[in-house]
Amino acid sequence: MSPLATIITILGLAGLGYLLGHRRAVALVAGDTRRLHSRPAYHGWQVALLAALPALGLLVLGGLARPLIPGAGALASPAAMLLGLAGLGAGLVRVSADFRARNAVERMIGLLLILCSLIAIATTLGIVLSLVFESASFFRLYPWQDFLFGTEWSPRFGGGSKLGMLPLLWGTLYISLIALLVAVPVGLFAAIYMSEYATRRVRSVVKPAIEVLAGIPTIVYGLFALATVGPLIRDWLAQPLGFGNSSASVATAGLVMGIMLIPFVSSLSDDIINAVPQSLRDGALGLGSTPSETIRHVVIPAALPGIVGAVLLAASRAIGETMIVVLGAGAMAKISGNPFEAMTTITVKIVGQLTGDNDFNSPETLVAFALGLTLFVMTLGLNVFALYIVRKYREQYE
Amino acid sequence: MNQMTQAERSVQTGTGDVKFECRDVQVWYGEKHALKDVGVDILDKTVTAFIGPSGCGKSTFLRCLNRMNDTIPAARVGGQMLLDGEDIYDPRVDPVQLRARVGMVFQKPNPFPKSIYDNVAYGPRIHGLAPTRADLDAVVEKSLRRAALWDDVKDRLDDTGTGLSGGQQQRLCIARAIATSPEVLLMDEPCSALDPIATAQIEELIDELRDRYSVVIVTHSMQQAARVSQKTAFFHLGHLVEYASTDDIFTSPKDPRTESYITGRIG
Amino acid sequence: MSDPAMPAARARRSLLKTDPGTSRRNAAERRFRAYGAAAVVVAMAALAALMFTVFRDGASAFVQARATIPVVIAADVVDPDGNRDPAEMAGVLTMSYGRLLDQALTREIERRNIQVEGLTQRDITGFLSAQARADLRRAVLADPALVGQEIEWRMMTSSRVDGMLKGRVTRDTAARDAKTSVAQYDLAMALRDQGVVRAGFNWRFITAPDGSDSRPESAGLGVAILGSLYMMLIVLVLALPIGVAASIWLEEFAPKNRLTDVIEVNISNLAAVPSIVFGILGLAAFINFVGLPRSAPIVGGLVLTLMTLPTIIIATRAALKAVPPSIRDAALGVGASRMQTVFHHVLPLAMPGILTGTILGLAQALGETAPLMLIGMVAFVSTYPSAPPQGLLDPASALPVQIYNWTQRADPAFFERASGAIIVLLAFLLAMNLIAIWLRRKFERRW
Repeated sequence: MSPLATIITILGLAGLGYLLGHRRAVALVAGDTRRLHSRPAYHGWQVALLAALPALGLLVLGGLARPLIPGAGALASPAAMLLGLAGLGAGLVRVSADFRARNAVERMIGLLLILCSLIAIATTLGIVLSLVFESASFFRLYPWQDFLFGTEWSPRFGGGSKLGMLPLLWGTLYISLIALLVAVPVGLFAAIYMSEYATRRVRSVVKPAIEVLAGIPTIVYGLFALATVGPLIRDWLAQPLGFGNSSASVATAGLVMGIMLIPFVSSLSDDIINAVPQSLRDGALGLGSTPSETIRHVVIPAALPGIVGAVLLAASRAIGETMIVVLGAGAMAKISGNPFEAMTTITVKIVGQLTGDNDFNSPETLVAFALGLTLFVMTLGLNVFALYIVRKYREQYE
Repeated sequence: MNQMTQAERSVQTGTGDVKFECRDVQVWYGEKHALKDVGVDILDKTVTAFIGPSGCGKSTFLRCLNRMNDTIPAARVGGQMLLDGEDIYDPRVDPVQLRARVGMVFQKPNPFPKSIYDNVAYGPRIHGLAPTRADLDAVVEKSLRRAALWDDVKDRLDDTGTGLSGGQQQRLCIARAIATSPEVLLMDEPCSALDPIATAQIEELIDELRDRYSVVIVTHSMQQAARVSQKTAFFHLGHLVEYASTDDIFTSPKDPRTESYITGRIG
Repeated sequence: MSDPAMPAARARRSLLKTDPGTSRRNAAERRFRAYGAAAVVVAMAALAALMFTVFRDGASAFVQARATIPVVIAADVVDPDGNRDPAEMAGVLTMSYGRLLDQALTREIERRNIQVEGLTQRDITGFLSAQARADLRRAVLADPALVGQEIEWRMMTSSRVDGMLKGRVTRDTAARDAKTSVAQYDLAMALRDQGVVRAGFNWRFITAPDGSDSRPESAGLGVAILGSLYMMLIVLVLALPIGVAASIWLEEFAPKNRLTDVIEVNISNLAAVPSIVFGILGLAAFINFVGLPRSAPIVGGLVLTLMTLPTIIIATRAALKAVPPSIRDAALGVGASRMQTVFHHVLPLAMPGILTGTILGLAQALGETAPLMLIGMVAFVSTYPSAPPQGLLDPASALPVQIYNWTQRADPAFFERASGAIIVLLAFLLAMNLIAIWLRRKFERRW
């Protein structure tokens, strides 16, 4: 029996349980429902939930255990059905005039709510486990020192690969740096202009437009980099200045990623600047500051921790961004200072090593998980730190 | 100060020249006509109190005196307001320069999140009033002394201003305002966020400031107006109802609305 | 007043004259303001440039050049046995139909008396799309009565000829292109002038499956749209109830303890984990560990669900928070349990906010590319997935991945397709956002 059919059957069983429970409760008091502690519907729900929840839980567990215990998958379906029937029976037995069905249902629903909340933890756990386990099998095949400190990246599927991470890390950081150099000034100044200078009319046009920029998928930015910005930079900057003739380059990817990050920086900064109390602005203006002096001397210093947090979050985005660099940065792993050269990033190589037919026993494939782990640790560190700073900042003005 | 007799105060009144001459002042907030035909002469070296029920326009009028209303996009101001004979709403007037001469202290103490020193030094720095570090040190010390805060903070000028107590913070804000050596000090309910002891200290300070500045104070407390001011203006529903010496307002008000207010029937 | 320490001693200037210091500061003020305006202009210009290039490059994907010519379905070619049995006719390969089409085109050129210098057989064969032969064969097999007749047949031209009508391929570029020629260009222009070849709206672009590398003109978004739709359904069915349940617990019931803190920190961090890491999770957990098939919408849907959950939870909690406590007090006051209060009163009031957040989360998931690439959705899929639930396990593509796929192909006609697909993607996103805005407007409530 397929899992889907089992699920449908169990749900059917639950429906049946509802009807039976409802009926039984009404029958027990001979139709005088006022004598019941809980309304008949709760008795129905009680039976239905008892029939469905444990059975479905068992089915999920069986699915998860399938790779670990051979035969668990085949056993899970019939076992779940039996459990469902057992739950149905147990629920029906419990029905009586004094039985607190509402409380029982609410306890079960509460449990369900907690389980749903725990999915967040399960996801994080799943990410960490999959990264760590696969990375561990990579490091059994390839020395970790060579991965972390190697300066050459040249995977060969025939064997003898050099899988040094440093060129990828360099490309990642270089591109992120350029992206931040674009996004932070533009985003911050745009936020300042919007919150301190713009008239209501201008704000009502510009704010949604910047939000549109935030809603555009990264693949669109990637194509923009590939087809428009790359050739433009090559023809107008790189070639005339003699810096090379590659259309995919650090500058291309960095510039486009910077554009992508503008709304991110500006909306976070906007929130943070607006959290600075008006009384501080009044104080500075009352002393005869110009508006820009008020912003530079009072608002920005007061908002600085929050803005630093926003920049760190933007940096974490830049490091983890994939499509723009896949399409705009190129695939050459190298360490160079020339921003008009093609370089590559951690995310590009994760995509490169994991798409297509992969052999999950070769270091050339498994290295992607070690790269993923590196990426996860880097971004997680930045996020935790940034969220901590932002939270501290918010508390200060609450 | 609080024990000062009426006789003493009468002697001190009337020594100042006219500092602010206001005629037919109107303020609109969008469609709302918030202030109507206000005419008042504010004297130098005098404490002038604006009293009235909330929403009567007293704070609005105060904020016109250093053009703080400019920061509210919907506000429009009409009429004439002359500071030493010059119209402060003349297009040639830069509000930045005006505010250096007409300082302001706000309802809630609002020290900048900087050191105590930097708070006081802020005004002189932006206006370029103290060219050398020594000048600046002198201005900071003088201002803090005048605000009766020097002895409390002289050993911790580098501590952040937000760490002080409420009363100290407000005195710091006063020190900050007088550091630019203004001619007029506007105070918008400066004691409403403070406890009674801090309030008494600030009131005492206001009385001392009178020998150098023209002080205008908005207050919701009639007792406070009676204690610190020599002239009192009573506002009601956007109108200036009565403006006279504080003694006259509190002892023999001319307008029945003033009398109702000070006897507690409106407000 | 003569106090040497206080700057008050300096001469009073008139208010009407701006002193030099103030002028300098005002100049700085204007500069600062200009920087701010410039930043806004830069952001707007970037948005305008992005939109402009997408529409410039992509609009033509919705138009396709087609030729309408009379074609003789010669019985000796398509039905050599002469018994009109589709099963036996299926033995005739597409290539034979191609010959029929070539003959038809040649006849048409002669009939219309079009003289093109240097026209070769290759130019004729390459004029029509390779897809046209397959379409004709399918039509004949479906209706054997066509055999032996002459029919007016409308078919796609090749991508080069398509490009000639759209101006992408000019006479000059045709001369340098090994896949076309000047003669073919002249032929295309002549046939266009006579109305044989015409450009029309290209429904196939939206409905057809992907085309092979050599047939960009036949490539469509059908499978990708269907795949994206399946995944959005999965995300909606899973993420909405789970997200709402988690939010209810965190917002209404959770005690202030370590576990709650851990969950909260987890959710805010998950919202910032790079999407590609979710792809790795999908590959390692759902495909390698659980053993679900690659390229399947179910895997993509699960990965996107996990990615969207934090967004939905954050939006839902905000919506629940916005319901004033007085509503809860009122319900509790008439004897409702806390659970009844939440489900009967708080949740319905928060629903518009929750739905708005969910739609925005779906929009974000719809545009996500990187994680889907890792779970194998870059594979070439030219057959539609079947209907759910079985179809959720069939290989499919997704809109953003299809765009990426097309950018990686050599033929420049695929670039036009990729840009056109972006227009379709943006149209979907726009529609979703409009629905969200409409919901917010319609149900906006102020307490």
